[in-house]
Amino acid sequence: MSATTIPAVAEERTAPAIDAPDRPRSTKLRLRPKVRAGRVLLSVLAVVIAIVWVFPVYWMVNSSLLPNRQLQSFIPTFFPIGGSLDNYGNALADGSFFTALGVSLSITLIVVFFCLLFAFLASVAISRFRFRGRASFVLAVLIVQMLPAEGLFIAQYKMISSAGLLNSIVGVSIIYTAAVVPFTIWMLRGFVAGIPAELEEAAMVDGLSRSQAFMRITFPLLAPGLVASGVFAFLQAWNEFTVALVLLPSEQMHTLPLWLRGFIQASATRETDWGQVMAASTLVAVPVIVFFLIVQGRMTSGLVSGAVKG
Amino acid sequence: MTATITTDAVTTAPGRASKPPRRRRGRSVPHLLLIPAVLILLVGMGYPLVWQAVTSLQEFGIAQQFGKPAPFVGIDNYVSLATDPDMWAVVGRSLVFCLVTAAVTLAIGILLAVLMTAVGRAARLTLQISLLLAWAMPVVAAMTVWIWLFDRRRGVVNYLLDMIPGVDMNRFSWLSNPLTFFLVASIIVVWMSVPFVAFSVYAGLTQVSDEVLEAAQLDGASGWQRLRFVIMPMIRPVIAIVLLLQLIWDLRVFTQITMLQDAGSKAGEFDLLGTYIYKLGAGAQDFGMASAVSIFVLALTLAISWFYVRSLLKEDAQS
Amino acid sequence: MKRKYAAAAFATAAALVLAGCSSTGDAAQNESADGQDITLWLMGGDTPDTLRTYLQDEYEQATGGTLTIEEQGWGDAVAKLTTALPDAANTPDVTEIGNTWAPTFTNAGAFTDLSDMYDELGGDKLLPSFVEVGDVDGAHYALPYYFGSRYNFYRKDIWEAAGKTVPTTLAEFDETVKSLRTDAQSGFYIGGSDWRNGISWIFANGGDLAKKDGDKWVGTLSDPKTIAGLEEFQSLFEGASNAPVTEFDSTPWVNINDNEATGKPEAATIIAPGWAHWSIGDLAPDPKDATKTVATWNDDKFGTFVLPGVDGGVAPVFAGGSNIAISAASKNQAGAKELMKIIFSPEYQQMLGENGLGPANLDYASSLGDDQFAKALIESAAGSKLTPAAPGWAAVEGAGILEEFFGKVSAGGDVADLAKEYDAKLDELLN
Repeated sequence: MSATTIPAVAEERTAPAIDAPDRPRSTKLRLRPKVRAGRVLLSVLAVVIAIVWVFPVYWMVNSSLLPNRQLQSFIPTFFPIGGSLDNYGNALADGSFFTALGVSLSITLIVVFFCLLFAFLASVAISRFRFRGRASFVLAVLIVQMLPAEGLFIAQYKMISSAGLLNSIVGVSIIYTAAVVPFTIWMLRGFVAGIPAELEEAAMVDGLSRSQAFMRITFPLLAPGLVASGVFAFLQAWNEFTVALVLLPSEQMHTLPLWLRGFIQASATRETDWGQVMAASTLVAVPVIVFFLIVQGRMTSGLVSGAVKG
Repeated sequence: MTATITTDAVTTAPGRASKPPRRRRGRSVPHLLLIPAVLILLVGMGYPLVWQAVTSLQEFGIAQQFGKPAPFVGIDNYVSLATDPDMWAVVGRSLVFCLVTAAVTLAIGILLAVLMTAVGRAARLTLQISLLLAWAMPVVAAMTVWIWLFDRRRGVVNYLLDMIPGVDMNRFSWLSNPLTFFLVASIIVVWMSVPFVAFSVYAGLTQVSDEVLEAAQLDGASGWQRLRFVIMPMIRPVIAIVLLLQLIWDLRVFTQITMLQDAGSKAGEFDLLGTYIYKLGAGAQDFGMASAVSIFVLALTLAISWFYVRSLLKEDAQS
Repeated sequence: MKRKYAAAAFATAAALVLAGCSSTGDAAQNESADGQDITLWLMGGDTPDTLRTYLQDEYEQATGGTLTIEEQGWGDAVAKLTTALPDAANTPDVTEIGNTWAPTFTNAGAFTDLSDMYDELGGDKLLPSFVEVGDVDGAHYALPYYFGSRYNFYRKDIWEAAGKTVPTTLAEFDETVKSLRTDAQSGFYIGGSDWRNGISWIFANGGDLAKKDGDKWVGTLSDPKTIAGLEEFQSLFEGASNAPVTEFDSTPWVNINDNEATGKPEAATIIAPGWAHWSIGDLAPDPKDATKTVATWNDDKFGTFVLPGVDGGVAPVFAGGSNIAISAASKNQAGAKELMKIIFSPEYQQMLGENGLGPANLDYASSLGDDQFAKALIESAAGSKLTPAAPGWAAVEGAGILEEFFGKVSAGGDVADLAKEYDAKLDELLN
C-alpha cells in the first residue's frame, strides 16, 4: 500500500463529499440494461447472505423462547413454536438486570459524551491548525491504542483504587474514555478535514465571527461524523468487560456484560441454564439496537440525506 | 442508514494531509484544544503505560503484588521471552490469525459493500439490517450464541452438516483441535467485524462521483475495469484505515479467544497473544513477563501498521 | 527525527508517574467488633441463600454491624483477589478461596495469622488436609470452609444388562468400564484434560504431582509411580471414554441422564462431586417453572460407588472444596474474627452438612445424613488428597499446565517424555 497516492486521491474526493447535501445523486454503480437480469440474481444473493449473517441473532432469540429441556436435546428446535417468555421472567426476576442496565447506561453515556467532546476539540486542532508537536500528538494517539489491555489491570486497579474511585462509575469511565478517545480522534479528524475551511470563511465574509461560522456551518456538517464516532464509542463502552471485572468488584456495580457472564458461568453445583442465558443475552443486545434506531432517526433528519441516502 | 455515515470519516481520514491548515495566528489555540484529550490520555493511559514499561524490567510476581520490593532485572524478561519457543509459536500463530482474519474480513466487507450498490432497495435494506443486528450484538452475548452453535453435541452446525449425505459431523469437536478452533474463532471475528467494514466501504462507494463513472463508461470501461481502475483507487483511503484497525484489533483479540477456550481447551496451542498475556499475568501471576510481552506486542503492532505510520510521518514532514 | 517521535510516545506516559502510588497500607486495627460493617466474598453459588442469610443475621446480632456478602465467579476470582486483597481500602474482610489457591495467597502474606483462635474455631477437629494447605511455618492462615469429594455414579440398568457388578479394585473398574464402551456410549465418561478427576489414578498408584525437596518444590510427574498412574489413566481414557481430549470442566451428569432426543444416556459411568446427585435422575419438566427440568433420583436406574483403590479399599481422590481466611489488609480484623466464630459455630457447621457440603469440623460430618450419597461422600473423603501445598500452585492452575499435560497424555502421547517436559514447566512455577 503506497502512502504517496493517498493525498491525491483524497483531494479528488473532496468535492463530491461537500456538495453532497444539496445535490441528490444516485448511489448505484450504473449498470447497463442488459445486466438487469443479473441484478435480480444479485438481489437474491444479498438476501441469502443477509439470512446467513443474521442467523446467530435469530438463534439467540429462538433459544431464549424455549425451555431448557428442549435445548438439551440433540435435535435442535428451529422455530420457537410453543415457546414462552418464561426465560425472560427468570432472567429478570431478581431485578439485577435493571441495576446493571443503569450502571452500563451511565458509564456508556458518560464515555460517549466526553469522548466526542475531547476528540472533537482535538481533531479541530490537528486538522485546522499547524503547530509544533502536531504529528507527535497524532503518533502518540496511534500508539496508545495499540497497547494490549490484558496486562494492564494491576496498574489500572492501583491507580483507580488510590484515587478512591473503585466501584464507581467515574473510575471506569475515565479508563474507558482514555481507551476510546484515540480512535474517536482518528475518526473525527477525517470528518473535520473533509469540511473545507472555505465554507467558514465565506460565512465570515457574510459577517459571522469565526466561532459563529464554525458553529453554524461546520458543526452541522460534522453531525454524521459525531454520530459515527459516537456509535463506535458506545459499542466499546457497552461491550467492555475485563476492565470492568477488576474495577467494579461489587455486585451492585456490575455492568451488563458482567451480569451476563454471571449467567454463563456454571458453578460447581449449578449447571448453565442455556435458555436463560440466551434470554439474558437478548436483553443485553436490545439497548444497543434501540440506540442504533434512535441514532438512525437523527441521521435521516436531512443533514446528510444527500451523501448517505439509502 | 445509520452506519453508512461512518464512511465519511473513514474515507477521508488517512491522507488528509493535502490541505495545509490555514490559520497560523493564535498560536495557543490548538494547544488549548488538545488539553482535554491529552489530560484524559495521561490520566487514563499514562500511568498504566509507564507501570507496564517499568514492570517489564522487574521480577514482579504475587509476592511483589503483596508488598515485597520488586528486584530490577534489566532486560532478563525480554531475553527469556526471546529464547522461549512457546512465545514464538504464539507470535507466529497470532500473526497468521491476524493477517488471515483481517484479509478475509476486508474481502467480504468490500464485496458486500459493492453488492449493496448493485442491488435494489429492498435487498439492500435487508442486507443492511441484518448486518446492523450482527453489529449490535454485544460481544459476550455473541460469543455465547456462537459457542452454542458449534457445540459438539447440540450445536446446529454439526446437526446441519451431518444432514449432508456422506458427511459425518455428528459429535465433531470443533474446539478440540487448534486448526478448527482457530477456524471457528476466525469465522466469529469475521462475522463481528464485517458490518463495520461493509458500511464504511459502502459509504465510501456512495461518494464516488457519478460523472466520473459515466465518463469511464463512455470511454468503454467494463464493469470490472471501472471497479478496478476508477472505484478502487477512490475508496483506497477508507480501505487503508479499515485495514489498519482490523490489524490492530485482530492481533490482540482477547475476549473471543478466552471465551472459546473456556468452552474448548486451555492448552498452550490454543493461545494467541491476548490470552497468552492474560495467562502470564492473571493466571501465572508473573506480571513482569506479562508486561514484557505487552511491550513486545506494542512494538509488533507498530511494525505491521508501519505502512500507515509512514504516511503519517510523511504528512508531518511536509510541514 | 526519530528521537522526537519516541519522546512523544513516552511523554504521554512519563508525566504521570506521579499519579501512581502504592495502595498497600497497614491496616488500622480496631479493637472492638462493635458496629463494624464487613464484607465477605463467596466463590460461586455453592453456599445456599439460607446460609448466607443466617450469617448476616448472626453477625448483626453479635456486633450490630452489617455483613455484606459478595459472590465472585470462580473463573475470575484469582484476578480479583490478586488486585483487591493487598488494597486496604477495598479488600474483602473475609474471603473464601479455592483450597488449591490457599498456599499461594498464604505464602504471599495475604491473610491474617489465626493461630491464636485456631483451637476456639475447632482446632484438631478441622479437616487436616485443608488446614495444611493454609499453613506457613506452623502458623494457621487459611482454614477449611467446606469440602466435597468425588465418587462414581453409574447406570445400574446398563451395568446389570451387561452382567457387571460394582468393582472392588481399580483394575477391575478400568476393565469393566472399558467393556461398556460403544460408539454411542462411554463406559466411563471423563474429559481428556480433566486433571482434577484424572489425578485420582496417580494418587491411587502412590504417585503425586510435586513434592518438597529441601526448601524447594519440584514436579514429580516422572516418578515411576506417577508414570504408572498416568499410563493407567491413558489406557482408561482411550478405552472407555468418548469425550474429547480437550474437555476439562464438563458437567458430566448431563451424560448419564437419558437424553431427550434418544432416550438413552451417553455414559454408563461418571465420576462427579457429590452434589451432582441433585442433577441426576429421571428428567421431567419442573412443575413450578416450565423452562426448567428436574431430575428425580431413581434407584432402579442409578447407583453410586466409591472409586476403588489399586488393592481394593478406597482410592484417594481429589478433595474439592474451599478455605476461608481473613484479609491481612482488612481494617476490620475484630469484626472479621467475629464472623469466623459464627462460621465455625456448631449451628453453621451443621447447616453446611445439611446442605450437602462437607463441614470443616469433622465432628459435624454426621449432619450430612446417612443416605447413600452422604455415605459415599464421607467414605471417599476419608482417603482424599489435595494438590501440593506449593506457593506457586495457583500459578500452575492459572497457566492451565495440567489441563494441557493431561490432554496430551489422553491424546496418546509418550507418557515418560511428556512427564519430563511438564516437570520442567512445574519446576518453573511452583516456588
